[in-house]
Amino acid sequence: MFGRIAFMELRTGWKGLLIFGLLVLIVSAGIPMIFPTYRDSLIEEMEGASKVHLELPDEQGGMITLSWEPLETATSYMVLEDNRSSMVTPNIKYMGNETSITFEKDFEEKRYYAVMAVLDETSDPVLIGITATEKGEDPFQELLKNPAYAGFTGGRNISMLEVKGFVALEYYGWAWMLTGLFIAYLSVSLIASDFENKRMDVMFSAPISRRRYLLEKFTAMSVIALFIVLVQIAGLTSGLASINALNEFSANAVLLSLIGSLPFLMVIAAVGIATAIFSQKVRTGMGITFAFVFAEFFLYTFGGFSKSLEWMKTISIFKYWDYFSVIIDDLFKTGDFLILTLLAIVLIIAAIRVFQKKDIPT
Amino acid sequence: MQKYENYGISENTGRRGEATNQEKAIEINNLTKMYGNHVGVKDLSLTVHKGEIMGFLGPNGAGKTTTIRCCLALIAKTAGEITIFGLDSHRDAVAIRKKTGYLPGDFGLIPSVKVRSYLKYLLSLNGCSSTKKMLSLAERLQLDLDRKTNELSKGNKLKVGIVQSLMTDEDLIIMDEPSGLDPLMQQEFYRILRQEKKHGKTVFMSSHNLAEVESVCDRVAIIRKGQLVVVEDIQVLQEKTGKVLEVEFRDPFNINEFKFDGVSSIRQDNGRLILTIHENLDNVIKAVSNHQILNMNLKTYSLEQLFLKYYAEEEVDERGDA
Repeated sequence: MFGRIAFMELRTGWKGLLIFGLLVLIVSAGIPMIFPTYRDSLIEEMEGASKVHLELPDEQGGMITLSWEPLETATSYMVLEDNRSSMVTPNIKYMGNETSITFEKDFEEKRYYAVMAVLDETSDPVLIGITATEKGEDPFQELLKNPAYAGFTGGRNISMLEVKGFVALEYYGWAWMLTGLFIAYLSVSLIASDFENKRMDVMFSAPISRRRYLLEKFTAMSVIALFIVLVQIAGLTSGLASINALNEFSANAVLLSLIGSLPFLMVIAAVGIATAIFSQKVRTGMGITFAFVFAEFFLYTFGGFSKSLEWMKTISIFKYWDYFSVIIDDLFKTGDFLILTLLAIVLIIAAIRVFQKKDIPT
Repeated sequence: MQKYENYGISENTGRRGEATNQEKAIEINNLTKMYGNHVGVKDLSLTVHKGEIMGFLGPNGAGKTTTIRCCLALIAKTAGEITIFGLDSHRDAVAIRKKTGYLPGDFGLIPSVKVRSYLKYLLSLNGCSSTKKMLSLAERLQLDLDRKTNELSKGNKLKVGIVQSLMTDEDLIIMDEPSGLDPLMQQEFYRILRQEKKHGKTVFMSSHNLAEVESVCDRVAIIRKGQLVVVEDIQVLQEKTGKVLEVEFRDPFNINEFKFDGVSSIRQDNGRLILTIHENLDNVIKAVSNHQILNMNLKTYSLEQLFLKYYAEEEVDERGDA
């Protein structure tokens, strides 16, 4: 009955798979949980900000109004201006008894204003509060204009200050390395260790064809890939729910974007199986499969550098797992999903053909 | 030292021991297997009949494992044909394995599972649901089924291999060097093989343990440097090789006193007389009794000695040719 070899693989490897699943769960749930802290680190919470109020003009050259809460013991007020929140080299913008000032916005960069209360001649001024002309800035905005990043995002305007952008870049952008390399490792060792540990002879003393053997191994890998994807979906969904950010994603966006990675992982598994058949050694097979994954990544990266290099993208499997399309545009590309699935099938058929002609070494 | 006479052992693919009217379990015709420029097996032809235990003898690297693994389509043939129960070894490999149990010479087990689970898994791959024979074999070989596969000693691992090759009750059992058990277990293993034969099973086993082959085999094929040297009934071979008489006398003696018909070899070694006797044992003993004897030993000529002798002769011939 088909499935016994696959079942045995799952049965003997369940502990390792469980540990890896736990790791994936922690990462998938943990990364969204980092988002609020990350966002807040960009939006600076300055001391006494609630006591100082800044009204900005709509246009350049308009008037800025800065007001602050009065302090009973104050004899006068002093406003300092700097382009750094540390106020190391400030200019004195105002000194007087008013609690509100107006001045022209004749600059473009971000500026900080510290309002101090002068109590008496013998005491140092007391800080009432600091404020700034901009609330926060996304350090990745400039970086995302880089062709290498723009190639990945498809030129989409993605903000790291939004949970969608953060998750797309910080989770999806790196998750392939964790899951893809695990699948590469497992697929190679599933076959090559049977060669190295001389298990093939006993296996093929049973009425099992080489085609069935490889199909069962591939089935085991597909089940493992599905398990990992489901863990990712569960982890990411719970992580987003814990920060109340799930509603920022359209329905099924998390599910579909990660399901899209299933044939991506199956292609890696098929390459791992093919190289294991070819090399019959765990280390060699793993080296080749890891090199394949990274080469595909670099092809996709270089493909974004210029129009003339775009062909590189088309031969990279990364092009066909477009999670940005699902997360940002709400579009699941069924064609890409089918292309990767077909590629995995073709690779497995090729591996079967090679294996049917190869000697099993003693 | 006197040279042995020719016992009539064929240097070609010797078919003399084979009956032509018996049904064939394995038929190998002109099998050649090359590993690049290295010869694994060359132009080998051999038939194993249904219901017999055929020994396949040869030193390491002679081509025994290559021949067996070609039979089971684990490796491709360079030339020649192999049929097992009339099925083509490579085209019908899966169908053949449904009728064949196989013990590889060197094999690994799936780690960290109980022997019982592992054997049940193999049974399921063979489409066999009954564990009766598995349990019986394990009991006879004193194999602990509740041990983990990665905790087994070399001998116990071999027992697992033996059990898995026999438990599915196939018509043909192919074993690649099934030695390595302790003497008691080895005897039990031979008894199991003889019982399998009684039940009409065919056994084809390679070995370089000649005592093993003598113990259980009906016929033996000897292979050397990838080529079949001889195929013979064990009994005929033993009769041909005769018995060896070693006598130590108190006084000097003349070897001419012991020249009788049926004595193929007479040798004197440090005051000992060594005779190879095929017939006329009575006359030889009477001649020996004319002297004062210090020590005497009469034994069956070991196949091992024959084996060693044969190769020694081959080496001499080759050096002579060169």
